[in-house]
Amino acid sequence: MARGVMLVSGGIDSPVAMHYLLRQGHELVAVHMDNRPFTDDSPLSKVVDHLTLLRERYHQPLPLYVVPHGSTQITLMRETDRHVGCVLCRRFMWRSAERIAEREGATFLVTGEALGQVASQTLSNMRTATASVHLPIIRPLIGLDKHEIETVAKSIGTYEISTRPGVCCQAVPDKPATRSNLVQILKEEERIDVEQMIDDCVRKAVVL
Amino acid sequence: MYRTLRLCTGGGGFEAVPDPPRRLDLAHIRTSLEREGVSVVDARVMLIAALGSETTISRAGRVLIKTDDPKQADRVFQKLRPLLDDDAPTH
Repeated sequence: MARGVMLVSGGIDSPVAMHYLLRQGHELVAVHMDNRPFTDDSPLSKVVDHLTLLRERYHQPLPLYVVPHGSTQITLMRETDRHVGCVLCRRFMWRSAERIAEREGATFLVTGEALGQVASQTLSNMRTATASVHLPIIRPLIGLDKHEIETVAKSIGTYEISTRPGVCCQAVPDKPATRSNLVQILKEEERIDVEQMIDDCVRKAVVL
Repeated sequence: MYRTLRLCTGGGGFEAVPDPPRRLDLAHIRTSLEREGVSVVDARVMLIAALGSETTISRAGRVLIKTDDPKQADRVFQKLRPLLDDDAPTH
């Protein structure tokens, strides 16, 4: 079985995606991009509770990397075009996950993305976001609709955790672009020191 | 003019939205808050201020107060309100 790095948000989708891979016997390392101060403590506390449940169910250690992402968000807001903020943010998340994958000997990345639920999940934006990494990306939920995902979440016990009250990410722009192209995104990234920012964030990650 | 504070969509805080829509001068608000000793993170399109409860003030006028206590949310909002009403609406 293979070892992968999973981006986990505290939402409904990511623990369901983990469940599908864990039940096949794959090993996973979880990465949570900590968006404080643009959210509250609830996403992290949900992630911790999701992993506690999944560790017990699948008898896997499931290490969790908590990567500080707030300073990255501030830099993106100050220096780049807000409309593509979600795509830029996702690119940072993917690259941070890939760095951690190198460290952990993982050979693939995983996400609970479905198609078209939010601005960052249109095909156009997913393509632009994932152009930032080289490892294969597995999306176990890509063919499921929201209702199907929620049904599985309820059956594995993560739905109640995911739907606890919390503050949604405040870094999402008012009018996020639903389409983007790589030329445009790379131009925005020239305004900032991407590699240094990723280095800093991954270096400061806390492993739980 | 701000509508009343209401629970935000995620249920983890209280928000107030201006009616009619307005654009805030965040630099002015930041200076005023810092003059009162309030710690402020400036993300250009929004401020995050330590006002007893962490509070986000967006350029579009939205205020989000991170607390599940409505009385606390109201206290924080009333403290902030003079700075918001001071601002000249531009929409």
